Amino acid sequence: MPQGIIENLIEQLSKLPGVGRKSAQRMAFFILNMKDEDARALAGAIGAVKTNARFCKACFNITDSDLCSICRDSLRDRKRICVVEEPSNIIVIERSGGFNGLYHVLMGALSPIDGITPDMLRIKELAQRVSGNGVDEVIIATNPNTKGEVTAKYVREALSPYDVAVTRIAYGLPLGGDIEFADEITMKKSLEGRRKLD
Amino acid sequence: MLGRTEGIVLRSRPFGEADLILEYLTRDFGVRSAFAKSPRKIKSRFGGSLEPFIHSRISLLGREDASLPKLTQSDIMTSFQPLREDIKALLQATEFAELILKLLPEREPAPRVFELLLWALSTLQSMTMLHGMIMSTGGAAAGANASGVTAPAAVKNERETRERWQFIPAVFKARLLSLTGYAPSLRGCARCGAGSRVFYPREGALLCGACARSGPSLEISAALPGIYRNLSEWPLEKIMRIRPSSGLLAELKKFIHVHLAEGIAVTVKSAKFGHGPAE
Repeated sequence: MPQGIIENLIEQLSKLPGVGRKSAQRMAFFILNMKDEDARALAGAIGAVKTNARFCKACFNITDSDLCSICRDSLRDRKRICVVEEPSNIIVIERSGGFNGLYHVLMGALSPIDGITPDMLRIKELAQRVSGNGVDEVIIATNPNTKGEVTAKYVREALSPYDVAVTRIAYGLPLGGDIEFADEITMKKSLEGRRKLD
Repeated sequence: MLGRTEGIVLRSRPFGEADLILEYLTRDFGVRSAFAKSPRKIKSRFGGSLEPFIHSRISLLGREDASLPKLTQSDIMTSFQPLREDIKALLQATEFAELILKLLPEREPAPRVFELLLWALSTLQSMTMLHGMIMSTGGAAAGANASGVTAPAAVKNERETRERWQFIPAVFKARLLSLTGYAPSLRGCARCGAGSRVFYPREGALLCGACARSGPSLEISAALPGIYRNLSEWPLEKIMRIRPSSGLLAELKKFIHVHLAEGIAVTVKSAKFGHGPAE
């Protein structure tokens, strides 16, 4: 049992990923010197997340009500669904500002060697959404690695009975990268995915 | 000190924010785990070189007895990309990787197992690409035929390729069992030497009626011990010349499965996967 309230806070903070004892100590003293309302807001946010967080009934994003804010938003394009592995991927795509449709979180990726099978993911629920909702396009945005690829292929096959275009996000070199350091698989995928310059 | 060697990625596990723990089968150091710093970041210098089944030239930093050396370099030698683009091939390659992880102790040099896996992945890749080509040709032929009947030559080729494809795991498993010391004893009754065709998986051997004890058993054909021995002993570069009949191949598959599951209690997680939505 840690001695003292600061020692306790340090121990709790050091449970966070990527936070060692030194960082936890710095954070603890920062919190100690924070404005009272900011510190209480932080504690309140942690408490609220643990009390109210649940999965959206439609897309399995994290929300505090039955439907998440994206699914509730009447201005979103309901004919497009972007399929991601984890709720955290939605934040990155939303930040890009390049997509205005709905999402579907699979809650993981297929991994034969780890025994993660299709019935463990939300693939059936995706098929149900696609079957009855006038969806035109499903964009598969799983990770560009083996697990993400096999998941993408499986989703494509699972959606084959439906009249919907299934697309995959592009592969290739990252912006700001240098071709000199590209590995051959990434380079090959970049060449395959080339497009005409407008 | 560890150093440069060739490795094939058997499995990878995320660690921390963007790191990976990889399990390699290396040519010089056997099965080794390695820690790779930040390969999941988009601009990582490792790029796509740490995906399963990639054969690469790697550098490991750490002492010989280090439990988790650091991976400092990975240059792809053979990507085996077609294996990751076909679900069935991916499942088969995954089974190879799982069996090695289960049967081969870590940090025990096993250059012959390395050669075997390299052969199995190369042959599987060739057969997968050939099968894909035949299926696309057969599909085109069927499309041209108004009655919807697939061209007989394409069907024959497809069946033959499928059987050749199924032969690869039989070879791989028979040889891996020999190389790791789990080979079944098929030279007559293991107790008295008398002739027998009844295999007892828990004994890992054939037993005659007089020596047999209670427990599950499997009757085998007269041809099975011979082909099993050939699979284990023939040079790899000539092994695809062996062409067992469909019946013998099916028996061989069943025999190896029984020996693995009931004899040495090895099951693979990838078997739970099925073969895709179509099946």
